[in-house]
Amino acid sequence: MTSTADIDAAASPRENTRFKDKKGETVISVSGLTPGAARYSRLFDVLVVAAVVTIFGGAIHLHVMLTVGDWDMYVDWKDRQYWPLVMPVSMIMFPAALQAIFWVNFRLPIGATVGATALLIATWIGRYANWWIWTGFPFTEGVPSQALAGALLMDMTLIVLRNSLFTSIIGGFAFGFVFWPSNYSALAPFYLPVEHQGMVASLADMIGYTFPRSNMPEYLRIIERGTLRTFGSSVSWVSAAFAGFICIFMHQLWWRLGLFASQATFLKNSDVVKSFMGIKSSVAS
Amino acid sequence: MLLKLIKFAAVCVAFIAGVSHAAAHGERAQEPYLRTRTVQFYDVHFSKTEVKVNERFELTGKFRLMQDWPDAVTPPDIVFVSSISPGPTIARIETYLNGWPARQSFARLELGRDYEFRMVLEGRTPGSSHIHPSISIKGSGPLVGPGQWVNISGEAHSFAFPIKTMTGLQIEDLQTFGLAHAVGWHLAWLAVAAAWLSFWLARPLILPRWLVLQKGREDLLISLRDTGAGIIVSAIVLVMVFGGYVRASAEYPYNVPLQSGLNRVAPLPASPAYAEIKVISATYDVPGRSMRLATQITNKGSEPLSIGELTTANIRFLNQSLPVAMANVDPSYPRDLIARTGLKLSSDTPINPGETREVRVEATDAVWELERLVSFLTDVDSKFGGLLLLYAPNGERVIAEMGGPIVPVFTELK
Repeated sequence: MTSTADIDAAASPRENTRFKDKKGETVISVSGLTPGAARYSRLFDVLVVAAVVTIFGGAIHLHVMLTVGDWDMYVDWKDRQYWPLVMPVSMIMFPAALQAIFWVNFRLPIGATVGATALLIATWIGRYANWWIWTGFPFTEGVPSQALAGALLMDMTLIVLRNSLFTSIIGGFAFGFVFWPSNYSALAPFYLPVEHQGMVASLADMIGYTFPRSNMPEYLRIIERGTLRTFGSSVSWVSAAFAGFICIFMHQLWWRLGLFASQATFLKNSDVVKSFMGIKSSVAS
Repeated sequence: MLLKLIKFAAVCVAFIAGVSHAAAHGERAQEPYLRTRTVQFYDVHFSKTEVKVNERFELTGKFRLMQDWPDAVTPPDIVFVSSISPGPTIARIETYLNGWPARQSFARLELGRDYEFRMVLEGRTPGSSHIHPSISIKGSGPLVGPGQWVNISGEAHSFAFPIKTMTGLQIEDLQTFGLAHAVGWHLAWLAVAAAWLSFWLARPLILPRWLVLQKGREDLLISLRDTGAGIIVSAIVLVMVFGGYVRASAEYPYNVPLQSGLNRVAPLPASPAYAEIKVISATYDVPGRSMRLATQITNKGSEPLSIGELTTANIRFLNQSLPVAMANVDPSYPRDLIARTGLKLSSDTPINPGETREVRVEATDAVWELERLVSFLTDVDSKFGGLLLLYAPNGERVIAEMGGPIVPVFTELK
């Protein structure tokens, strides 16, 4: 008869020493998997990880490109007002859904981090392949933004509070709020001022101007037009706070959408459908 | 099965081998009403068509915003002057509209008036690039001028764009500046994320955890140690976020926001309306590829005027019997946009001052088809437009706008 220790050793030797409770029970032993099943479950884990990173990396990247692509693709679109607002509101969607799926089904507080990591990897692959190899744009023109700081905080909120509503309120807000400061740290050099043709420009403006995107006229950039004047130069923090506020609701909405989309529901086929599928010889019979 | 695979592989190889570099920009795909009735470019000049990497050249010219602006096109209330190239094969150094810097867009250009542009460009990517001047209008998109092939020689890696900031920082290359800084931060975030993910991925994951959760043993899945780890990672993240922000703010204290705003520029001085053109009738002979116009031209100036050229959608029909018209063709103007058969006139003698004369103008060439301009037959308002260039004996040029309804003829006119 196979002992619990044998099962654990077959599945994951490290688990015996690291993830054992006071009674000596481990996840594998309590799960009831046989040694063979445990081995295959690990293989299944690897396949799931590979699938999640590739499929969700592509899906989230596509989603971000379709909704707020210009802000993410071009350095001269990353303004103080709209960029800190629209990016996290779009970027939180899939990570929130993944967070719900991983947490509710597997108690894994990694969904948001997985989503943001997959997004950043997919984005850099896209930038390298499409911007550099294919079209020859300089990397500086297509430096992307990242949502990892916010995603990590969202996962940390979940593991500490273990509640979706509070994760929305605190983690969701954090996701939106820290987008600006965490990305400004990386992109600050692109806002250095230069003089060009007698006018002030940021380096980001100059990069976009110098390396022309043929059908990207300057007026398409939706950048601040002198609004939020009463907040002085603190435009970005106001946008960041508002982004956090919106992200609270986006997180809760996409948490629920994630759970809904991950349900496995079976519907009974009618006789007509069965006959079309060859399961039943004919409706009449 | 093997045969099928070989066939499939052969098809794939043939497809890949047949892929060629995209050189055009879809300029011929634009509807004729956009090209014939909005912006008419003229006097376009490429200072060089052979440049080296890092070598500068100029693209200059003028354009007329047609008075008979199509209803379907947004008026030129917000306009950006640009060049069109297959990606950033060129670097844009400076641009001007009527002498004013054109890095930003312009507000409210006037219909029926002329503007002069100048672009200083620089070779960046070796190869042959099709370069156009372009006027982008918000709501309507880019309207392109004549495209010319510019051959760029040299090595791509030798291109660099140095620039000095207002804070005194000398940047060696705008293409790479700040990149290592940004990538470094991204790698740092990825490292934290990888550490957090590894913390969990090292454990049994999907099936065992799901089974354990079904058995109500959540205590095995999340421990106090895990919660503590979460708190530590939170602290690290917050320090990175706000510490990084404070450090960046201290390192770059004089940063500026992205620059925006519209500029305003007056049009070129209006030239005296020496010639007035009325289009009595216009037909396009489909099989004959010929536009035939019956016009009434009045010379309101003090000098006799000869018809020298009809230009529309960057295509030039020249009166080849008029030397001054032929001399007006810039050597750098793309030859594929000059109709070989030229312009045929029912009356080639100069129109005297004060005289009104009916002149039949015939512009016949396959270029109508090649440039896909005959689809104006499918336009909802079936109109055409263009500029007629007339010359006085002293060489003075009069540019007159013309246009009106056009009727297709599907059999050759007698």
